[in-house]
Amino acid sequence: MNEVKQNHVDPADQAVISQGLIAAAREMGAKLIRSAYSPIVREASDCAAALLDRHGNVVAQAELIPMQLGSIGATFKPCAALFPPETLKEGDFYVNNDPFHGGQHLPDVFLFSPIFMAGTLVGFSATVAHHLDLGGGAPGLNPHATDVHQEGLIIPPSKYNHAKDWSGGPLERLIRANIRVPDQTIGDFNAQFAANFIGMERVRALCGKFGVATFEAAMAELLDYSERRMRHAIAEAPDGVYFGEDALDDDGIGDEPLPVRAAVTIDGDSISVDFDGTCDQVRMNLNCPFASTIATALSVVKSVLTSPDIPFNEGSLRPVTITAPYGSILNPKPPAPVRARLTASYRAYNAVMKALAKAEPEKVIATGFDTTESVCLSHLGPNGYRISLEIFGGGYGGGPVEDGCDAVDSPMSNCGNVPIEAMDLEYDFFRIAAYSLRADSGGQGRSRGGMGLCRHYEILKDDVTFATYSDRFRLAPDGLFGGAAGRCAETHLKRGVEILTLPSKGSFALQKGDILMIETGGGGGYGNPTERATEKVKQDLEQAFISPETARQYYSIDAAAE
Amino acid sequence: MRVGVEVGGTFTDLVAIENGQVKIAKVPSVPSAPDEGALAALAAAKLQMDSVEDLVHGSTVAINAILERKGASVAFLVTKGFRDLLLLQRHNRRQIYDLFYGKPRPVVGRRDTFEIDERIGPDGTIISSLDPDRLTASLSSTLKAGEYEAVAICLLNGYANPVHERTVAAWVAENFPEISITCSCDVTREFREYERASTTTIAAYVQPVTSAYIARFAESLAETGFSGRFSIMQSNGGHLPAAAFSGNAISSLFSGPAAGVNGAIRQSTLAGYKDLITLDMGGTSTDVCVVTDGRADLSTETEVDGLPIRAPALDIVTVGAGGGSIIWIDDGGMLRIGPRSAGADPGPACYGRGGEEPTITDAHIVRGSIRSEAFLGGAMYIDDAAAHAALEPLAKRFGMSLEEFADSAIRVADANIVRAIQLVSTERGRDPRDYVLTPYGGAGPLHAVRVAEELGIGTVIVAPNAGVLSAFGLLAANFAQYDTLTRKVPVNADAPAIVRDVFDEMARNAEKAFVAFEIDASPRFAPTLEMRYVGQAFEIQVSLDPDNLEQLAEEELTSRFAEAHIQLFGFGGADFGPCEIVSFRLGALAPPSDLPALREEESLEHGPDTRVFDSGDWHDCSLNSRAGIRTLKSVTGLALVEDATSTAYIPRGWRATVDSHDNLIIQKEGVPHERG
Repeated sequence: MNEVKQNHVDPADQAVISQGLIAAAREMGAKLIRSAYSPIVREASDCAAALLDRHGNVVAQAELIPMQLGSIGATFKPCAALFPPETLKEGDFYVNNDPFHGGQHLPDVFLFSPIFMAGTLVGFSATVAHHLDLGGGAPGLNPHATDVHQEGLIIPPSKYNHAKDWSGGPLERLIRANIRVPDQTIGDFNAQFAANFIGMERVRALCGKFGVATFEAAMAELLDYSERRMRHAIAEAPDGVYFGEDALDDDGIGDEPLPVRAAVTIDGDSISVDFDGTCDQVRMNLNCPFASTIATALSVVKSVLTSPDIPFNEGSLRPVTITAPYGSILNPKPPAPVRARLTASYRAYNAVMKALAKAEPEKVIATGFDTTESVCLSHLGPNGYRISLEIFGGGYGGGPVEDGCDAVDSPMSNCGNVPIEAMDLEYDFFRIAAYSLRADSGGQGRSRGGMGLCRHYEILKDDVTFATYSDRFRLAPDGLFGGAAGRCAETHLKRGVEILTLPSKGSFALQKGDILMIETGGGGGYGNPTERATEKVKQDLEQAFISPETARQYYSIDAAAE
Repeated sequence: MRVGVEVGGTFTDLVAIENGQVKIAKVPSVPSAPDEGALAALAAAKLQMDSVEDLVHGSTVAINAILERKGASVAFLVTKGFRDLLLLQRHNRRQIYDLFYGKPRPVVGRRDTFEIDERIGPDGTIISSLDPDRLTASLSSTLKAGEYEAVAICLLNGYANPVHERTVAAWVAENFPEISITCSCDVTREFREYERASTTTIAAYVQPVTSAYIARFAESLAETGFSGRFSIMQSNGGHLPAAAFSGNAISSLFSGPAAGVNGAIRQSTLAGYKDLITLDMGGTSTDVCVVTDGRADLSTETEVDGLPIRAPALDIVTVGAGGGSIIWIDDGGMLRIGPRSAGADPGPACYGRGGEEPTITDAHIVRGSIRSEAFLGGAMYIDDAAAHAALEPLAKRFGMSLEEFADSAIRVADANIVRAIQLVSTERGRDPRDYVLTPYGGAGPLHAVRVAEELGIGTVIVAPNAGVLSAFGLLAANFAQYDTLTRKVPVNADAPAIVRDVFDEMARNAEKAFVAFEIDASPRFAPTLEMRYVGQAFEIQVSLDPDNLEQLAEEELTSRFAEAHIQLFGFGGADFGPCEIVSFRLGALAPPSDLPALREEESLEHGPDTRVFDSGDWHDCSLNSRAGIRTLKSVTGLALVEDATSTAYIPRGWRATVDSHDNLIIQKEGVPHERG
């Protein structure tokens, strides 16, 4: 065994400071959620928190939403380039939501607060939250936007001061005037600031205890540590160039599939992912800003090749190179609309996973529903707008041993559902009439794909707007190594005796008495169904996860005879 | 005589107290039949059973039923359209990068879940009425065919209006009198249907098992000649006569940890301290809890095996750092402690039972803070050489001496404990320096002073026989019952009157319950409001003075809430926005008739002084008993204080005295101390 080399920090100090940083980031995330106002943050947890060193390297993060985690450093850099960190004063902050300058999509607003120790800059605390509405052409979600300007307010990389510009100051007033549900949104911004302040306090306490020099050395070592563990894990995978491909259903206007291609090169302890051959950017909001593409590719590499307990920070990025052609759907040019970026991101996720399946078949899972189905219901009443925004996933793909997880948010996101009883308390223009697993939707195989979910909304008022984006309405998630594909998603509208089929993307006017029926897709199966243990098939039948027809068709088991 | 019997995972402990005399017994637990271990402890203590007036029992029977999935067969009845609540859960993942993620497995399956056609609104209005005749048609045959032992009923918005749950319960009781029934409105009246359904099904699942256990144990006790009062410990830190558990078994889930906190509160109160942080360090983990003014924090958000439970329990945080936690270096070169543990078998390397991986206990052997000849009062063989051999390869990798590495590993374990304490103190806006630290469990007193040093805590109190403080805590517990009601009330001029009325009614109900349980003392009340700013989703607890409810004013409600919000989140204020009350909780508490004190049975004999490695060097270290310290008036570190159930370590810069209750009071030198 080799002697362990570290950046000259005592191993116990190193362990204590590392844990302290990770705990501080986690506390920031937890407090942001618990003090937030909008259901999308407080119930669904669509937010993230991180601590950065003074150069802007992410050192520790609260593991909440993978998409927001992979690229906080990329969002920071343009701010620092315009307003150098050494010019910052106590109370200043950076803000950025610009998809073409390191941001994701407009609702995700990033706030960075510098941390000073006796006048010396030692790092930054950062939070990002998905804001319910940031203006733009429609409440919460404008599926018809053909450029980013129609999607809401762009806050380019900038520097403000909390005391001067927020709390009734010009920036807060400007934002308040441009958004539809200001009380909830400004409340969420305040929760972000408060979380940043908590991060500052915790970092100052660590600096006070260990001294700035030791603290900074320990941060640098934590980055090196994650890098070492990433490299260690990558080196165990066989060298080679591997290819994978998947496609989006369509761009929401036409019906042509949009291919996404990945070439993954494993070379010793480094890995590169190149999305050359991916389709061009599209007219509608499915384009994925490059920061989101980086977060996506990194998430697959981390999930497949490495142990889940490696702290995810800038060091884990070092062994990974990611490229995508400028002007493609994974690296769009302005002013492309990007609101539904996760749709393209997930196909990139699937393409990289399929490539890695050839290198490490026992470490991957089959393609899942892997789509963010966004359901936005809004209504303009006498007291202003009411907006409900929910995010749904479906089934995970089956794995080498276990069935795919049922009805869970898709891999790049991790939003909770909003409880039915919270919806009942919050909204008077609709009511959730049913929420269930979607039987038979998982792809059959040695391991079954996870099931999707059904959610039915009874509309209680006229003039309700339903806006949505989703995918996998046409192209089903593939099975792997002989497993069957999962079922596609579907949306129906029951109006009187009529049942209408709605497309995956768009906006629709609903009226009182309508029943909106959302059904998300299942995951693909892993391995040949003939290899599935009979016991598991019987359990699935007993719990009605599969129908007798499915048991007969895939497993030659006659339910009636059992 | 009063007797406490506490069943733990490894040992069953007994403490008996009569006229100030303390008797202790420790026997191995019988996991498959906890009552056998408890009866063995009674036999080992050779008690005069017919003179036992009070016997308080804490057992793992309910929690084991969940962990091993050996509870009742339960039918779950739910509002139409929502059969899959237990499987859908909250749609998120606990490990975001785990591709093979699986959700926690509920205690009731899909095929045992049945829908009922009804709907109640969030304000309690009936949107779709329930037709009892249709129940017979839809449920009779399925419930019969399923041969269920229990039924759990959780209907949407049932917290706002329980009428439909009551109707269904009455129908089940009439048609299936032998089935045990649990309604969500009796277990937790709070919104969020998944968490409430999970709580209700778990309550139904553990009820028959717990009832049968209590009946069986009561019968065995009667056979021994016992005719006193038999009570059971609850998660909320109080106990109630066994009769109270016929419909409330879920309240006994976390009785063990709660009992220990009570024991710490009692002994520290005797020493004159009421603001404490308790630290219970055993073989695999450490539990910590904050006690303010003699009262432990309560939490309504706990879980077992990943399944949420919404019933008041002491707010105890657990970290995977115990004496058996394994010391290792990960593939990135970081020194790590746990969460894997060597357990009781093979146990730490020094047990000499084939364990090869180094543990915290082994590190203590190497640095001299555990003396092999004194481990568990000298009752156990310890292999020093095995401990050294286990640590050696790791020390080499860091280029450190063996003792230097052992001390570093203990520091990292200490840091894990410090993290847990920060979670319940700093992260809740409290300064740990305002508290004293009260360690117990076999390993707690070994780590406590250095943990206190890290946190800036100036006083550590080690009770005599700290290794059996949980069993003692059973005897120190209050009779306690908690009631919670979700009812949204805006804070305005009308609010104080509503608060009074709600708490008045709850207090009358509690008094009636105490009479029914034949508790002679009349309860003291602890009213708490759960409040938030309008628009937020999570509430924070605001305690009210029970004697001041008549004078309660709107301004006080607003300002008390605003203060608590700023303390917790760092923002807010009285003029920040309108706030509201979301739920009301009333604790009814009555102390036991005579409060006991734990004493030291006898002092151990000690050999010559020893040496301990601390912060880079070997130091001389005195060996002491409480009696010896009393003679000397005080000792300063480095010092070890050993008794039959644990060892306390006192580093340099700290001084220990013994008070008139045999408590070891360890204080940082040169710092003025005030009693709480």
